[in-house]
Amino acid sequence: MRSKIAVAILGAGLLLTAAPVWAHHAFAAEFDVNKPLLLKGTVTKMEWINPHAWIHIDVKDAATGKTTEWMIEAGAPNGLLRRGFTKASLPNGTDIVVEGWQAKDGSNRANGSNITLPDGKKLFVGSSGTGAPFETQK
Amino acid sequence: MSKRILALVGLIALALPLVAQKKPAKTPWGDPDLQGTWTSDDTWGVPMERPVKYGHRLYLTEDELQAREKQVAASKQRIENPSDANHSPAKAQLDAQERGEATGGPGRGVDAAPVPGQFGEYARRASKQTSQIVEPANGRMPALTEEGKQKQTEAAALRRKKPETWTDWSIYDRCITRGVAGSIIPVIYGNGLEIVQTPGYVAIRYEMVHDTRIIPTDGRAHAPSSLRSYMGDPVGHWEGNTLVVETTNFNGRMGIGPNGGGVAGSLDMKLTERFTRMADNTINYELTVNDPKTWTSEWKIAFPITHEPGYQIYEYACHEGNMAMRNMITGTLADEAAAAAKKNQETISR
Repeated sequence: MRSKIAVAILGAGLLLTAAPVWAHHAFAAEFDVNKPLLLKGTVTKMEWINPHAWIHIDVKDAATGKTTEWMIEAGAPNGLLRRGFTKASLPNGTDIVVEGWQAKDGSNRANGSNITLPDGKKLFVGSSGTGAPFETQK
Repeated sequence: MSKRILALVGLIALALPLVAQKKPAKTPWGDPDLQGTWTSDDTWGVPMERPVKYGHRLYLTEDELQAREKQVAASKQRIENPSDANHSPAKAQLDAQERGEATGGPGRGVDAAPVPGQFGEYARRASKQTSQIVEPANGRMPALTEEGKQKQTEAAALRRKKPETWTDWSIYDRCITRGVAGSIIPVIYGNGLEIVQTPGYVAIRYEMVHDTRIIPTDGRAHAPSSLRSYMGDPVGHWEGNTLVVETTNFNGRMGIGPNGGGVAGSLDMKLTERFTRMADNTINYELTVNDPKTWTSEWKIAFPITHEPGYQIYEYACHEGNMAMRNMITGTLADEAAAAAKKNQETISR
């Protein structure tokens, strides 16, 4: 049986001295590339809104039993639909694993990359660039 | 023998309509019919400016085309089947951090997409073009004028600035518009447009940021020069089977690039677009940029737009949940707080 016990692993921020690159509407201004995370949680709501859909999950701390709400930024609804997502893809109560990066301000928001469904199937929910050189050179 | 010849002649006669160019469809009132849903996705991966290595060559060689076909097939596979790609960048980064290795970082970033930089849309067929720009012959934007250089410097400064207030974002970020060129140049998603015609008008609506242009083709003149807008004032006419749209009266704030980025054109910019239906599923699109105040010569972009079975335009209510602006402001505040704390720490340790 799949454990509902949630685990949140937050990577320790690395101190890097490179000059920040500010690409507008971009990952770097909003999310922290040094804070990758892996969240196991239960879907409570999926907002099909533009320009980015947001997946709300409840993440339960294994040690304390305390539940924390997280918001995961996904792609644009039109992009998700064309990738094969439907409103039925993520019903409330679905246990998912989210890979992504946490918001720069330290709040419980993250930019999603992949989500893994209970049957092991992965869905790519990525939405924006991450400030990688090939993006900032555009 | 003569029967064989007759049979052969018969076969040729049957085959002829198949090879002859299809007569372009007309609307009931006799205009060439461009109506339908179209996308510029097939130009995904074709750079706007031609890489210098191709020189004056507009088309790929057979070998280069085969390489691009492989890339196109791989993109389709990885985007449609992320499980197959086994692509877990955040997890890989966490694992690397556990091993004490540095990953990502400002200015370096990480590859979050199944295919670097590609977030959903991909070409259905490999384009033969080496660049979107087809004129001048080197496939690159002509040199900027002094005024153009000044605007380029200002735009670069804005990009580097940490967003503190709403004017620190581009017109696209603020869900205002992507401009005429930016609404059709392919980007990471939402490259669809729909063309609808009536007698005397052509309407084009674009999916992302949902602009609609109403283009009169009844021979009227442009609006007075005192009337200015982001999308400009379009006036169209038919040249044979080609719809020619000339747009002027811009407000000087929109660039000619993806999502309306790039150096902004001047108030005098004139854009001339040509839409020519080449086949049931293909329109050849051309955009000529004439703006002597910004560029030292005229230049032209061209690529096909295609009709794809099942492809439809979705609503893109851009500001419905545009949380990025708030999140970027709080991101800036977090950066400033971290910098202040670091400075305090340095002061204390001295």
